Amino acid sequence: MIRDERVVYVKTGIKKISAVLCSTVLLAGVAAGCGGNDKESKETAAPESSNAAKSPSDPPAKLTVEVFDRGVQGQPDLNNNFWTKYVNEHFGKPNNAIVEYVPVPRSQEVDKLNVLMAAGQAPDISFTYDGTLVTRFAKSDGLYTLDELLESHGQQLKAYLGENVLAYGKYNDKQVSIPGKRTLLAWNGMFIRKDWLDKLGMPLPTNRDELYNTLVAFRDKNPGNVNGVIPWATAAAGMNYTFGNLVQSFWGQMSEEEFVTTPNWLKPGNKDAYKWLNKLYNEKLISPDFALDKTTKQADADVTNGKVGFYAANWDYPMTQKIREPLKQNSPDAHYVPVDTFKNAEGKYLKEVYNENGIFSFIPKSSKNAELAVKYLNWMADPEVMFFLQFGEEGVHHTLKDGIPQGISQTGEKMQMSNLNMDYTMIVNGAELGDTEKNVKTYAAALASGDKQYEELAMESYKINTTDGYSSFYYGVPNESNIKYGKTLGDMNKQMIDRLIVAKESEFDALYDKLVKEYMDAGGKAVQEENVKNYREVTANKK
Amino acid sequence: MKAVLNNQQDQIGLTRRHTFWLRIRRDALLYILLLLPLLYIAIFKYAPIYGLIMAFQDYNIFQGTSGSEWVGLDVFRFIFQQDSFYRALKNTLVLNVLDLVAGFPAPIILAILLNEVRMARFKKLTQTILYLPHFMSWVIIGGIVYLMFSNSGMVNLFLDSLGLSKIEFLSQKTPWLVTYITVGVWQNIGWGTIIYLAAITGINKELYEASDMDGCSRLRKMWHITLPGIKSTINILLILQIGRMVSIGFDRPFVMGNSLVSEYSDVISTFVYRVGISSGDFSQATAVGLFQSVVGLTLLIGANYIAKKLGEDGIW
Repeated sequence: MIRDERVVYVKTGIKKISAVLCSTVLLAGVAAGCGGNDKESKETAAPESSNAAKSPSDPPAKLTVEVFDRGVQGQPDLNNNFWTKYVNEHFGKPNNAIVEYVPVPRSQEVDKLNVLMAAGQAPDISFTYDGTLVTRFAKSDGLYTLDELLESHGQQLKAYLGENVLAYGKYNDKQVSIPGKRTLLAWNGMFIRKDWLDKLGMPLPTNRDELYNTLVAFRDKNPGNVNGVIPWATAAAGMNYTFGNLVQSFWGQMSEEEFVTTPNWLKPGNKDAYKWLNKLYNEKLISPDFALDKTTKQADADVTNGKVGFYAANWDYPMTQKIREPLKQNSPDAHYVPVDTFKNAEGKYLKEVYNENGIFSFIPKSSKNAELAVKYLNWMADPEVMFFLQFGEEGVHHTLKDGIPQGISQTGEKMQMSNLNMDYTMIVNGAELGDTEKNVKTYAAALASGDKQYEELAMESYKINTTDGYSSFYYGVPNESNIKYGKTLGDMNKQMIDRLIVAKESEFDALYDKLVKEYMDAGGKAVQEENVKNYREVTANKK
Repeated sequence: MKAVLNNQQDQIGLTRRHTFWLRIRRDALLYILLLLPLLYIAIFKYAPIYGLIMAFQDYNIFQGTSGSEWVGLDVFRFIFQQDSFYRALKNTLVLNVLDLVAGFPAPIILAILLNEVRMARFKKLTQTILYLPHFMSWVIIGGIVYLMFSNSGMVNLFLDSLGLSKIEFLSQKTPWLVTYITVGVWQNIGWGTIIYLAAITGINKELYEASDMDGCSRLRKMWHITLPGIKSTINILLILQIGRMVSIGFDRPFVMGNSLVSEYSDVISTFVYRVGISSGDFSQATAVGLFQSVVGLTLLIGANYIAKKLGEDGIW
């Protein structure tokens, strides 16, 4: 009897509790709904507040700016160091603003940005290297159009970047992002151990077959006498390590239109390129675990431990602090030189170089400080400011020699977390001192930190890796299919590369055809068709 | 128990309404404590349900749910056309079934074995060591697995030094599957044991004493007393596990997977991550999530129904 009663009470209790719960759920729903409305009201209110003149007595405005967190060993607080103090002193104070930096992990920049944008919490100045992403934000009407703001507050910036660079940041003829200016156009580079070649009495390879023989010699004779020699080091596709311009060297004849619009997987000769790599992998000439090395930690460790004979990565990769310093310590005799070894049938060393735009900066609609943001970028275009941010203080970060700053590496709060502070100077990528030759020299000197051997390496690498270069075709109109499928295709692309190289030799052909078919079905075809359409329109308009 | 009885005696003669408030007041502290988990569930489990409407919209992150365009079932249609979705679904089911087969009995066996250990200190120590992996992040476990099982990892170097051929634990599909399941069992076994050990403690000691009198062997006691004693616990956990069949944790497949085994390692959670977070297509990600919940609920109800038909206690 007693027991029954208790059950009844518990049941009424549950009813009450569930009533409370239900109302909580409703409340939560309402709150979320309000959040949505709130966002809209913010958008309309934004221009007003930023147009209002600010008297010095007003509380300072807070300008948030994205910065990449590259996880460099020993890096200082990214929002409180030598550079951020300079910015706040020289830009913040006169404009009654506080500039705050929001770190975003470099390897997850797009993921993080997607989340920040969706939550309406993206920094006032956000940036990404992913042009399609910017187009997608612009298409959803999530970005400020900057034409007027640039006109009224960004003249210096406009003049510095120029029409050509700015064109890369347009969507439907409106300026939605501010592309940085890329002063150095080289992209990939390939590097080989000169000291090993000398020991074996071999010359620098000048084509694929010679490289193959060299790699075999590295494997069999182990000239460095290291434990576990790796003739060719690489990591999972899509990170810093690449295969240089190997694939391009296999491509056959194509018309200009085909070259621009056909996905690489369908280009003549592309299959042979991967077959060649597959053969090398199966002959144990390529890092055995490269596909598992998703963060490039293993490849970096192998290179800096002096186990690697040959590798391909960014053209300036050997000079970056995380490679240069440990290599000097672990393997002081190691001497890498840049090499150009993938010659195509026409005798050219065809390779892709960058367009002259760098990272895309944009101002999300959720921002209340659009005007201040443009002012900030405009301030940065001042040659004096830019020089300071890129090269630091004389006597501390550099010494001047023949007008060219020679870098001095710093640690702690004065260190630069990226090459020439590019993460703090989003309007420029690479040294900026006027002409290209001087820029290359300067860049090399700054990164080499006084080591002549590295300075030479950089100069030579730049020369090699801009020879026979082509840059990707800029349509100037968005490819809707690419906005939709681009990311999926990009991911597939990386998986395909890894899987094809590791495949069993006998299964290679079937796998290649199968994967390419999947790729084309997953949107590759749609992107290609739209590319062809856009290409024809754009070239017809030019005529 | 005694307190409860006392309470009930007090209430005789009072109206229901009164007793309800009386109870609340008497156990106010307990109810306040209960409020916290309830709030947690309301905020993190119920409030997000509101976001499900994204699955029926062409969600624009700048317009929010109130400003986005309604598209009906278009998003679902798009998903069901994609091969990669079916692959993710298939892999999720395959990995979970294998996990269930290998991972479900393991803690039960371990708990029964531990229960037989006589030295209390040794038992506690073993238990602690066994459930430690549960608190390790998958990122760390992934690192350990890489160091041990990659082609140039410890295990393969050892095999190599014995003159045996290498096993590609992480880059071949079947060996990867075995590694994935085994590591999962290793990580979870100790933690799962706790619940069963608790259930075993609840078994009436007199039963064991009686069987001792009858001269039962250890094995017989395990089979005829311990196992039936925890049967209902096993049942409930099994039903819950089946309900989770279509959902799968993100970290484990993401950390342990790589492009070479993507045909096995690409599961629903990594699919959602890819389309939702990486590609910013929140509608698709939400739709997949909703689909996953619906199938999960169906499986749960189904398993519960079958359990009841077989004469066992269900979860409701």
